[in-house]
Amino acid sequence: MRRSAVAYGFLFPYLAVFAAFWAWPIVQSIVYSLQNTRGAVPVFSPSANWGRLAGDPVFLRALGHTLAFLVLQVPAMLALAIGLAVALNAPALRARALFRFAFFAPIVVGEVAYSTVFRLLFNGQYGAVNKALAALGIAGPDWLNEPVSAFAVLVIAVTWRWTGYNAIIVLAGLQGIPRELYEAAEVDGVPRWLQFWRITLPLLLPVVAVAAVLSIIGSLQLFVEPQLITRSGPGGATETLGTYLYQQGFRAFNFGYAAAIGYAAAMLALVVSLAQVSLFRSRT
Amino acid sequence: MRSLRLTAALLAGMTAPALAADKPSGTITVWGWNIAAEALEHIVPAFNAEHPGVTVKVVNMGHSDLHDRVAADCAAGGTDMPDVTIVENQEAGLLWNRFPACFADMKPLGYDAYANKFPAFKQLDLQADGKVFAMPWDSGPVTVFYRRDLYKQAGIDPQAIATWDDFIAAGKKLSAATGGKVKMATIYKGTDDEWFRMLAVQNGCYYFSDDGRSITVARPGCAKALAKVKDVWDAGILNVGGWDEQIQFDKTGAAASQLYGGWYEGTIRSNDADQSGRWGVYPMPAFEAGGRRASNIGGSSLAIAATANKPAAWAFVSYALGTDAGQISMMKYRGLVPALLSAVDDPYVKQDQPFWGGQKVWADMLETLPRIVPYNATPYFTDARGVMKVVVNDYLDGRYKTADEALRVAADQIAGASGLPVAP
Repeated sequence: MRRSAVAYGFLFPYLAVFAAFWAWPIVQSIVYSLQNTRGAVPVFSPSANWGRLAGDPVFLRALGHTLAFLVLQVPAMLALAIGLAVALNAPALRARALFRFAFFAPIVVGEVAYSTVFRLLFNGQYGAVNKALAALGIAGPDWLNEPVSAFAVLVIAVTWRWTGYNAIIVLAGLQGIPRELYEAAEVDGVPRWLQFWRITLPLLLPVVAVAAVLSIIGSLQLFVEPQLITRSGPGGATETLGTYLYQQGFRAFNFGYAAAIGYAAAMLALVVSLAQVSLFRSRT
Repeated sequence: MRSLRLTAALLAGMTAPALAADKPSGTITVWGWNIAAEALEHIVPAFNAEHPGVTVKVVNMGHSDLHDRVAADCAAGGTDMPDVTIVENQEAGLLWNRFPACFADMKPLGYDAYANKFPAFKQLDLQADGKVFAMPWDSGPVTVFYRRDLYKQAGIDPQAIATWDDFIAAGKKLSAATGGKVKMATIYKGTDDEWFRMLAVQNGCYYFSDDGRSITVARPGCAKALAKVKDVWDAGILNVGGWDEQIQFDKTGAAASQLYGGWYEGTIRSNDADQSGRWGVYPMPAFEAGGRRASNIGGSSLAIAATANKPAAWAFVSYALGTDAGQISMMKYRGLVPALLSAVDDPYVKQDQPFWGGQKVWADMLETLPRIVPYNATPYFTDARGVMKVVVNDYLDGRYKTADEALRVAADQIAGASGLPVAP
């Protein structure tokens, strides 16, 4: 009894912070989502936000964009990250530490700074990307002002920033695979590509699953890039759950609706993560 | 109710001299953004000559920062609010609706003496439930800023541009003369709907009715405005970009003119100082010959917090915005267009401006103020703009057959977001 009291004593500072800055906001935002918060005094009215959500074309579009991003960007980035990790792990590679740092470096750059640079790079008239394409004789699109290319810029930007980070996670997994397995395979005359397919990939799955869950949650929260690079345009073509939540909560001061959008995104993250984890568990 | 208001007015009238007798004193904090904060800082010495007992501390912060901090402070019951804060007109209704207890009613402080000194269109957003929550500051009379040299090269006479169709014809001439490299203006296509709003207000139409109780965006005046924006867009005479790009277009000469609020004067003058003498302004084109050539976009006001040192805050606000001296000084210093009607008679307004090729640009812009049709941004401005930036973009891209059809879709979406009915 006394021992547990001491333990709780030590835990208290953390628990107090957790209660004030995590638990309370989580509960309070559920309450908000059930209230009409448009007037001076919030009124209990669950349908005001949850009812609006189902029929709100802007929310449904934002959800669609977020899901499209998840389906297109996350697998592509993870495939790139695995390839990169294998390359970085190759025994023949020189200046290994330099390369590892170089690919990890984008994550060190501030989100706002890199977003601003991408907006400049992809400027249709003056941007470096179109100038480079023009030098190759290709007329580049007006990146930020066409729906598809604006979406592509977001995919490119996020991939640039996070591939190295995921590659480092995968690299840690690669280094955890016992060398004896490859030696045994060599002895049995298994070709390299089959070694990758039958040994490397299956043993990497748990690590890739972690990277995938982190990336999926990241895409569901996607905010800085669409807010700063494409301004959720053109014509809402890159509106995401994150930008719509911000718009509703902090521009329109409609905290209740913003909370409902936030919870919708959180539920989606939960469902996708659970599906993912159970999928990987049954495979391994 | 009426008699009650009368009594209140009488009481206010009786206490006013008493208030004037004890000089306001103490320290007040004033929040502003960018050039607006710099302008307020600039007039503090002159204000102190009249009110030596008041110490004014101006805090300059970013537009979004200020918006978020006011929201957070008001949500926390007015804690940490400054005595005076800038409020953008189009965001004003949202604040009064959401946080009415956070701001002081200016009527008991003596606002009635100022009510006639500002145009009606600047005051509509600043009042709610019979209270006045802010005093108008600057306005955004819409005008065309143009490059004299580029127009001349293309053989365009700005004085001959009377209607939007003339504007389109001039744009085609410009395209022909420059191989399509130089455009007539910039549109924030897909990120904002300002072109639509400028032309709608010109046409006496807006998102909402003046009483703020219904959605009027599907009315014919707005449909006509939207269709005209498409005519201009389809002529291929507009650059696409945002604020930063627009400034680049001015610098590089990719735009020969810009359609914007009067406050854009300071932006051109400070960013393109090397182009002095090459710029000028002309009134926005009309829908038909002899039609209205006045509209408004943007503009701000000053509000006093409920928790403020009210006598000192009121003394500062009424000096800064309610006197010619305050308003003219801020216009000279940072190009903020005074909403105060009497400012138009100030000698400075009538002076030739060397940067603008010797044109009396202030007189030209300010004289349009009385003709601007009032409109009410309401608490739902942000929702409506969010819908409209998409609908306007889709209409310009040909995804709706008619402007009327596009605006009906928009009206339904704004109704879904705001809960307001669509006006018949």
